[in-house]
Formats: sequence, structure tokens, C-alpha cells
Amino acid sequence: MERLSRRSFVKIAGAATGAAALAAAPPIARAAVGEQGAQPTDPTARVPEEPVVAYVRDVERGEVTVTAGTAEHTYRDRALVQRLLRAAGRKGVR
Amino acid sequence: MSSHREAPAISQDPVADNADTYAFVSPDDPSTVTIITNYVPLEGPPGGPNFFEFGDDVLYSIYVDNDGDALPEIEYQFRFRTTLQNEDTFLYNTGPIGSLTDPNWNKRQLYSVSVVRSSGRDSDDGHGGAKVLGKNLACPPCNIGPRSTPDYDSLAAAAVHHLPSGETVFAGQRNDGFFVDLGAIFDLGDIREIQNLHLIPTPAGTSVDPLKTLNIHAIAIKVPIALLTRDGSVPSDPAAAKAILGIWGGASRRKVQVRDGYETRGSGPWVQVSRLGNPLFNEVIVPVGEKDRWNSVDPIDDVGFEKYVNQPELAKLLPVLYPGAFPNLAAYSKNRADLHAILLTGIPGGIVPGFQNFTGPKPADMLRLNVAVPPTTSNPNALGVVGGDLAGFPNGRRVFDDVVSIELKAVAGATIPLVDPSYTVDGAVGAVSSYLTPGAGRYQAAFPYLGTPHDGFDTPSS
Repeated sequence: MERLSRRSFVKIAGAATGAAALAAAPPIARAAVGEQGAQPTDPTARVPEEPVVAYVRDVERGEVTVTAGTAEHTYRDRALVQRLLRAAGRKGVR
Repeated sequence: MSSHREAPAISQDPVADNADTYAFVSPDDPSTVTIITNYVPLEGPPGGPNFFEFGDDVLYSIYVDNDGDALPEIEYQFRFRTTLQNEDTFLYNTGPIGSLTDPNWNKRQLYSVSVVRSSGRDSDDGHGGAKVLGKNLACPPCNIGPRSTPDYDSLAAAAVHHLPSGETVFAGQRNDGFFVDLGAIFDLGDIREIQNLHLIPTPAGTSVDPLKTLNIHAIAIKVPIALLTRDGSVPSDPAAAKAILGIWGGASRRKVQVRDGYETRGSGPWVQVSRLGNPLFNEVIVPVGEKDRWNSVDPIDDVGFEKYVNQPELAKLLPVLYPGAFPNLAAYSKNRADLHAILLTGIPGGIVPGFQNFTGPKPADMLRLNVAVPPTTSNPNALGVVGGDLAGFPNGRRVFDDVVSIELKAVAGATIPLVDPSYTVDGAVGAVSSYLTPGAGRYQAAFPYLGTPHDGFDTPSS
């Protein structure tokens, strides 16, 4: 993984929101359907004025919470959790 | 007190700290209700050059429950925005401030007011669907001194805004109307006048009022009663359920704050960090390990705090701190149905002649205002209902109500006979009091009812 700037992390976080949009339906229903890997970053996606934040809520359950605007959704996405954990543990990431 | 720095987390966040909430039928405009929520407690008037202000990143809310379900049917929202006229000076003002648009006034706050109706917990996040009632409304500056704010009352008067929807609003610095001998009460429950009876006795003294030289930031709104009641009426029968409004204030912050250099931006839903209905509820009733949680939840969640009202810690402490003074209170082991009614359900009809503010059995900490009780305009009694004045606390709360005396007396047993006639009130209850009478200037007769804030040049005086 390349060294990430804050802006590129925002884009990745935005992609996580995109994955959520694809899944549609409320988060609980989404979690019940099954897991889905993280979606590739769309470089053309508009960057929101406010930060879009994704944080690992529960490693064991593979849950990620995404905040965007005044909304908050929690998804079960083990692949994204693993990517975030790998990113968090990588030296030089800031 | 009454909720100044009352919980560990909010004590670190003054701009979001809801220190007092008031709600009363406006004495000079009895077709309206005035609601005031105060923030930024214990402001020292000389605190420049960045004088006190509201938080631009805080959502300030006033909630009204008009059907007794402990959920808000009406929420007024206030959002603030700070502007700088000149970034190249360290000064708050570069000359005398003669008006709210004076170019000499450098650092200003503007705000918007919105209303959400039927915004109970079940509709989105409770903060959506807001209708904007007014925007770019000016706050007054802080009261600095005779050179900077030579005619402060004119500035404050200009900051009273009449909205097209019928409400009148004000947001800005005022004199803190709350009074208590802070230094004594937090020195192991001391009351100076009877401290010779204290477990650690010292000669009897005289109570002091440390808040009498401090300011606060008030958000005040005067609303036609018909805009608040469940059916749009103006009730005249105090016995009618529709005459009762449950009222509380709250402040919320975004769930996530991202600090990037010197900028901080928010993300996610609004999360409540402070609330206040009845004075002193979180301060005195809720134990310190629960206070932050209490601030984060809503009145409808207060069933979890009911036990602290039924068996209040302070009622157990008084007989210990004043040995032999409260024998009947010490022996009373029943749940405190009197406090439960006053603080959590409202007082049912038939207990206090001509009065009720019962909202139903659902326990919830809210101010409960019976809007059919007319304001007392001649010699109001600061002891409110306890003093025979049905227009005062716990029928809502007026700015001058002596809530410390009322609640101390109630906790000490004064109101037990209302629900348990077999109980004999201890003689010492008569000596339990704030022993304070606010001076002239603490309040004013017209909206926003809290007096002119102290200016930093003259306060404190040498």
C-alpha cells in the first residue's frame, strides 16, 4: 500500500460509503445478507466537504462504522476491516 | 449548580454545558411562554481578549413534550457562526461598539433558529426536517467596559429578534440568575447559618453568593402558547392535561471530530453531551459514576435513574452531616414518592389545591409547566409552589426562583406529608435554606428576563 495522505484516506473512506450504498437496505439487513469485500476506490467520486470517517467497531464481528454527514451506518465487512487493520499497522502511514 | 460543571465530561466542555433551564408563562406577555437555556457557566467578566461565546460546533436544542409521552413533539434548534471582521488584530473590538453592525466590533456571532415538529426519537435522528425560522441573527457582544460597550443595554435590546413565525429570540451574554453558596455547599454540605450544628462545626456565619459577579450565555425564546400545546389551544383550566408542557434543554456534538492542523471538522450524527430539565437533578440526585451517561440519554430513558430519586443520597447525608437535627428523616426508609412526583411525573391533581402538572406515570426529568396557571405579577414568592405561589417552581421555573432552598427543603422532608400524612417534618427543615436574596440588576422585567451582564472593567471591583 502506498503511503497515504489524509485526502486519499478520505477517498477510501468515501468508497466504503459507496459499498454501503450498493448494499442498499438498512445496516442490520445488510449484515444479515452476508459479507462483501471492500470496493475499489473511485477516483472520480466527489470528496465531501466534511470528513467521511470509517472506524473498526468490532474486529471479531468484522464491523465497520461509517459516518458521513449526519448519518452513521454500521456494516459487517470483514475484508474492509482487515484492510483497515493492515493500514493501521503499516509503518509510515499517517 | 444548578448544573454548572455538574458532570465529569461536560465540566471539560463549557460551551456545551447546559447550566440552567427556565420555563414560565411570560409575566409581561401571558399569552406566551418563555424558555431559557444557559451555557458557559461561571464566566468571569474580564475574560478577554477572546470573550465568551457559544460553540459553532454545538447544536443547542430546546425540547417540548406536549402530550406527556416524555418525547419531544417540538424541538427548537440554535446553531451559531463566528465571524471576524479583521484577522490582523488581536482585539475583540478596535473601538467603541455602538451597534450590532459597528465595524469596530471584530469578533461576532450570528445564529440560526429552526424548529422540528413531531421530531420524537422515532423520526430519523431527531434533528432532521428542521424548518428555518430565522438566520443570520446577531448576538450582542460581551459586556467589556465603558470604552468598548458604553451603551450595553442598547446593544442587548437590538439583539432581541422577532421572528415572522411568532417567536421572539435572544442569544448572548447575561447576568447569571442562579444563586447558591457554592463554596459552602460543596464543603461537605455546609450551610453557614447553621454550620455550628455541622458534624465538623464552626461558628455560625452568613451565606455568600459567588455567582453574583459572574455571567453566563443565555438562549432565550418566547413562544405563543398556542404554538406549543398539543391542539393549538391556549388552555385556561389548570386541571386539563393539555395545559402541561414538559420542557428541557440539551446540547449535542457531532459523533466524530477530526482535528486537522488547527481546524476541527465534524462527521456523523449529533450526539447529546448535556441536558437539563429540573435544576440540580444531575447535580445532586445522580451519582458521579452515572452523570455522563445521564447527560447522553433522553428523559424517556430516565427510568434507569428512578432509584436515585426514590432513595436520594442527600437525604441520607443530611442526618449524618447535622447530627441529631433530622431524626425523622433518618428514620424514613420508604421510597420518596414526593420527590418522584416533583421531579419525574409531575404533581397529580388533588395534592396541592388548584394545581397539578402531572404528565402521566412515565418517569422523566423535565420541567413541567402548567400554562393555565397565570403568572404572579405582584409579589411573587421565590419559594414557588412550596411558598404558595403556584406560578413558580416546580411549576416550570422562573429566573428568580430559589430552587436551592426549595429542593433542599424537599429533600430534607418538607414535602413528604403531601404523599404521606403520617410523617412529621423535622424542625430543622425550617433552617435549611440558601439564605440568599439576589440583588437589584440580577433580573429584568422584560424578555430575556436575565439582567445586564457584568462588564469586565468594573467586575470584579477592587
